[in-house]
Amino acid sequence: MQNNGTILETEDLNLHYGENHALIDISIRIPRYRVTALIGPSGCGKSTLLRCFNRLNDLVKGVKIGGKILFDGKDISDPDTDVVELRKRIGMVFQKPNPFPFSIYDNVAYGLRIHGVRDRKELDRIVETSMKRAALWDEVKDRLHDPAMGLSGGQLQRLCIARTLAVEPDIVLMDEPCSALDPIATSKIEDLIDELKQNYTVIIVTHNMQQAARVSDYTGFMYLGRLIEFGETSQIFESPREELTNKYVTGRFG
Amino acid sequence: MKEGGRIRTRNPPSTAGVAVNGEGDPGSPRRISPPDTGPVQVIRDLHLHLLAPGLAFGRNARRLRENAVRALWFCTAIFAVLAIFFILFFLVKEGYPAFEQVGVWDFLSGERWNPTGAKPGYGVFPLIVGTLLVTLGAMTIAVPLGIGSAVFIAELAPAKVKAVVKPAVELLAGIPSVVYGFFGLIVLTDRLRIVFDVPSGESWLAGSILLGIMALPTIVSVSEDALSAVPQGYREGSLALGATHWQTIARVVAPAALSGIAAAIVLGMGRAIGETMAVIMVCGNAAIIPDPLWNVLSPVRTLTGTLGIEMGEVAVGSAHYHALFGVAVVLLAITLLVNLAARTILRQIREKHTVTTGRAPSVFRDTADAARPYVCAVVGVAGAIVLLMATNILVTAFAVASVALFLAVRDRISPKTGQKVAFGLVYASITTVMLVLGVLLFDIIAHGIPALSWEFLIEPPSNLGRAGGIGPAIVGTLYLVTGAVLFALPIGVGAAIYINEYAQEGRVTEIVRSGADLLNGTPSIVFGLFGFAFLVLFLNLGVSLLAGQITLGLMILPTIIRTTEEALKGIPDALREGSLALGATHWQTIARVVLPPAVPGILTGTILSIGRAAGETAPILFTAVVFSKRFLPASLTEPVMALPYHLFILATSVPGARENQYGTALVLLILVMGVYMAAIFIRNRYQRAMTW
Repeated sequence: MQNNGTILETEDLNLHYGENHALIDISIRIPRYRVTALIGPSGCGKSTLLRCFNRLNDLVKGVKIGGKILFDGKDISDPDTDVVELRKRIGMVFQKPNPFPFSIYDNVAYGLRIHGVRDRKELDRIVETSMKRAALWDEVKDRLHDPAMGLSGGQLQRLCIARTLAVEPDIVLMDEPCSALDPIATSKIEDLIDELKQNYTVIIVTHNMQQAARVSDYTGFMYLGRLIEFGETSQIFESPREELTNKYVTGRFG
Repeated sequence: MKEGGRIRTRNPPSTAGVAVNGEGDPGSPRRISPPDTGPVQVIRDLHLHLLAPGLAFGRNARRLRENAVRALWFCTAIFAVLAIFFILFFLVKEGYPAFEQVGVWDFLSGERWNPTGAKPGYGVFPLIVGTLLVTLGAMTIAVPLGIGSAVFIAELAPAKVKAVVKPAVELLAGIPSVVYGFFGLIVLTDRLRIVFDVPSGESWLAGSILLGIMALPTIVSVSEDALSAVPQGYREGSLALGATHWQTIARVVAPAALSGIAAAIVLGMGRAIGETMAVIMVCGNAAIIPDPLWNVLSPVRTLTGTLGIEMGEVAVGSAHYHALFGVAVVLLAITLLVNLAARTILRQIREKHTVTTGRAPSVFRDTADAARPYVCAVVGVAGAIVLLMATNILVTAFAVASVALFLAVRDRISPKTGQKVAFGLVYASITTVMLVLGVLLFDIIAHGIPALSWEFLIEPPSNLGRAGGIGPAIVGTLYLVTGAVLFALPIGVGAAIYINEYAQEGRVTEIVRSGADLLNGTPSIVFGLFGFAFLVLFLNLGVSLLAGQITLGLMILPTIIRTTEEALKGIPDALREGSLALGATHWQTIARVVLPPAVPGILTGTILSIGRAAGETAPILFTAVVFSKRFLPASLTEPVMALPYHLFILATSVPGARENQYGTALVLLILVMGVYMAAIFIRNRYQRAMTW
């Protein structure tokens, strides 16, 4: 596989929730324009790691972070980092769809409006593009001004993806985006992820190993706060170097 | 740097590398190429985005604005905190000399309260006893009726009946206390006088009945919420085992909701303890301990009543003045206890419904189970002894016999019969509650309508309120309420935003919440006392519109803070994270995502506060009102007329003004009810619209 360079990397990242040492010496390099999956049993720190990348852990009380997180070579764990700008460039899709209680249109336009886009035509255009990219446009184009809450779970999740894409991030973080969805909705989102890597770097946390194998180019296996192994997905699933990884991907624990 | 550059397919060249910082440079954020123009290739250097010097300005401006907004909310929070703690401090400071001069023990246990006599007595014991007796009586009436009604609304009522009964009970909560007092004075005490053939019906019993009615809505609403919150799965699980509906309610649903019901009782008790005007109007107000203690027809005087009656004519700085503040401190201490009890109970609920960590070890539970029969026996015997002391042998024997009979037949009644009996009692209690509401409303409406006329609504009163109208009183009430809301709303909402959205959860937020809760449960007469001593006298505002507005504003401030907080807490964190993850600033997130869905909640809280402010008499008694005034106030420093106070004086001091009394009561009722109905309407409407 062609090397695209590294967009995001961590060096000896450690994270404590109070007494709990949640991430231990994580060093990982996320390749640009690729889908990277993070797998591992519940509580291994996958989501915590993901939330380090857009500094959403800042909202949690009693978090201490050590080590470096480099985004395009710049350390974003620096307290002086502009987190607002950072989060604009590193978007996130959550486990449970969390649409705002606005209309479908306004949900996608929200990010644009807060970043100062006022022009109606411009908004229309970007909303449409984003929804098309999120493979949602055809299903909702006739009811853009209906409340978003009326959509199905899978549609809501694609709405949240469209909302994230509308602000043009470089990286899209996905925290188990399909865990609340049925198989059909899941396969739509998986197809979408495949499309997205043309333009974006995707980092996805998933419980579902088949999903990781299907959608990702690289996979990191985490266990008890450590990154056990990281490599191309085919290698991780077919010839893991670590015994733990082997056990996990073959379903012998987890 | 070079490896960061990369051929991208989505940015039109015109915007490549332009400041990403959307705010401050409108119209030029990065764009997505329109789908029909096809992909445009651009080279974009990612480093440029982070390092471009032009970004610094927009970023600093944004930080400045964020910090300014934060500072603003911080100031409101600080003001609210200072106000809350200043009130508490001031009351204690002014009350302290009384404890010092009389001695804490003599003050609390002295049996003679006669501050104006030749040989003044400052013993508040009769007042404490009066408060406790009236509260006890009120609870005896309100607890069974309230829980029965709550069971009916939560478990038995068909949807259509519930849609009528529930708001009706809530309406009961909205009736101003002076209207209850008026009803009690005109109808209830008169009934009691005739039924018991006594010279006056103004008594412990009258106060208990009236306060019982007033505490009912709190008990019903909170219990009903607790019962409705029990997961449906519990009911289905029990019914699936062949339990009757009543068995399910009694053994599964009610125990699961027990702490909520307990909290309801405690809150209802708080309401009864804190009531002033209604108590003054029906209790007779003699500072004596009923002799014998169970003489329910004896007049009593409560702590709140004492403040309401005596504060107006006390010399500032005198021993009497400090003694009244001492009474307020005692009242505050009782409120604090009741509040603590409610908080502890509510916390237990929360812990029970979240993850169970550190459960009681099973040994302890086994011991508790084993000890239960003995505990029951001890409590039963103690109860019988107390009953024997308080009443006579006949009553005690009857009570013991009925409990024994109940225990004996309990296991022999078939579940179906048991259900019939229990549901019969439930229906009886809801019927009683509805009947009380009906009688009260009917009495006031039927007698009040003949008084209503255009002149009555706009004319000033004449002949001591026997003739003429209540125009200035209506306008005065509107002035008072408007001022109070203008004062309390920005501070309350701002403080709540700061506590909930900015402040780190910790000791500070906990202190603010405790302070707000304490003031929330504080009897309104205590605010009146504070307003009188601090605003009217110390700040020399005089009895004025402004003093009344601030006093009422302080009174509703805690309610606004807490309801706003509740509304904000109801907004899921997922929405905040979703917004922040898109690069919205903290304030953008609050203003655009958190606040809009919280508005109905805030609005409901505010409207309820308006209703309360409009109907309250005690806080304005010494701070803002005069009985009769031909003209509207020309400035904030002049006193005003107000509807509740006008009704109070008409009812207690002006004989022969029956028609105008009812007219005033009806107008006040319509005004406050209208406000409450608006609140209920808004809540129901948005509750349906909002589902996460």
